[in-house]
Amino acid sequence: MNSLRNKLKLGLSLAVLMAACWPVYAHHSFAIYDRSKLLTLKGNVKSFQWTNPHCVIWVLVQPEGGGEPQEWSFETTSPGVLTRGGWTRNSVKPGDRVAVDFYPLRDGSHGGGLSAVTLADTGQKLTASFGEKAELK
Amino acid sequence: MNNLIRGSALAAMILAAFAGVALSPSDAAEPPAKDPINPPPTLRDWQALAKLPDFGGVWTPVISDQVAQERSNPPPWNAQTAKQIEHMYAEEKAGRPFPVIDHCFPTGMPSYMLITHNAFELLVTPGRVTLLGEGDGNRLRRIYTDGRPHPDDPDPSFHGHSIGHWEGQTLVVDTVALLPEVYLAVNEAVGVPNNGDMHIVERIHLLDPETLADDLEITANKLLSKTWKTTRKYLRQRSQKYDIVEGVCEQGSYNEGVDKDGNSIFVPIKFHNGVPVGSDSK
Repeated sequence: MNSLRNKLKLGLSLAVLMAACWPVYAHHSFAIYDRSKLLTLKGNVKSFQWTNPHCVIWVLVQPEGGGEPQEWSFETTSPGVLTRGGWTRNSVKPGDRVAVDFYPLRDGSHGGGLSAVTLADTGQKLTASFGEKAELK
Repeated sequence: MNNLIRGSALAAMILAAFAGVALSPSDAAEPPAKDPINPPPTLRDWQALAKLPDFGGVWTPVISDQVAQERSNPPPWNAQTAKQIEHMYAEEKAGRPFPVIDHCFPTGMPSYMLITHNAFELLVTPGRVTLLGEGDGNRLRRIYTDGRPHPDDPDPSFHGHSIGHWEGQTLVVDTVALLPEVYLAVNEAVGVPNNGDMHIVERIHLLDPETLADDLEITANKLLSKTWKTTRKYLRQRSQKYDIVEGVCEQGSYNEGVDKDGNSIFVPIKFHNGVPVGSDSK
């Protein structure tokens, strides 16, 4: 029973952590991303998918060892929530040089949950963690 | 005198006629119209809305309170369901969240009110209260407040059949006819299908001018040992940046592209375990 309670406690702690950072995860839970690791990758934006239920920044990343650029996807919340956080569908454009802070997929696939993106040309940093702001008003 | 008698006789006839209309036993037994109509609203119908509490506008769920409710007031799961729930919490903790909503079906009721992180817009019109959702497909609830009963044999649906009435400042909503596949979920990774016969009663009211509360009573005999009572809160968003935007869920599965003829088309995205991944992924 204690073990069940502990499991529930851990699960709920995780849920609290997630809810504090991710306002919207319709379509799937963001527990798919490893939130204990915050990584950074640099690359060139291929496209910015401005869609529901989640927006995605697609980035071409040059592997350290050379070779063809690899395509990565960085998923974030919905257009409605991003708009309320100051983003527009043109905040990130194809060809932009960016540094992406993200929580990686646990299986090592080329994808992650977006934490922030910094535009190299302007230094502007756009964050995607609006969680409770809307509630606090 | 003659006039008086004549007048009394006329009055008696009129009374008898009215009495006949009101008391006719055949009327009491009259079945409802086979093809009822939605009558055009009158000025009085619109004026009556002004006396109701102000529910209209965009509302966002209080997510921190959702989590607090999940922790402090979990559903009274029966023993069999509790095992499944325990397993789902463990899977979520291990980074393998169960895909309660990993598709573009509507989350349905009661998830619409319980676990959504999306805004909804509420409209109060004569005979109807309507909730319009956002991010995962502009989900929609229709609550009939025109006095109609539930249909005798309603088609099951994701949001069920909802009828409502006002008790003072509170909208009382009764929902039946939910698809058995629709989840009773406590978060986006923990929930089970209701498996049939779920019944939801809601009492929706203002806690203060800008906070809406939904007191839910959920009866799901296949899952719960007794009726689960819980409350969810929503904050009114007056800023126009909260105006609801189109949310076509399936659009998220496609990127914009151009075909060989130069036409703009949607190009399917590669997904892995429900999330979009780059083309060089494992």
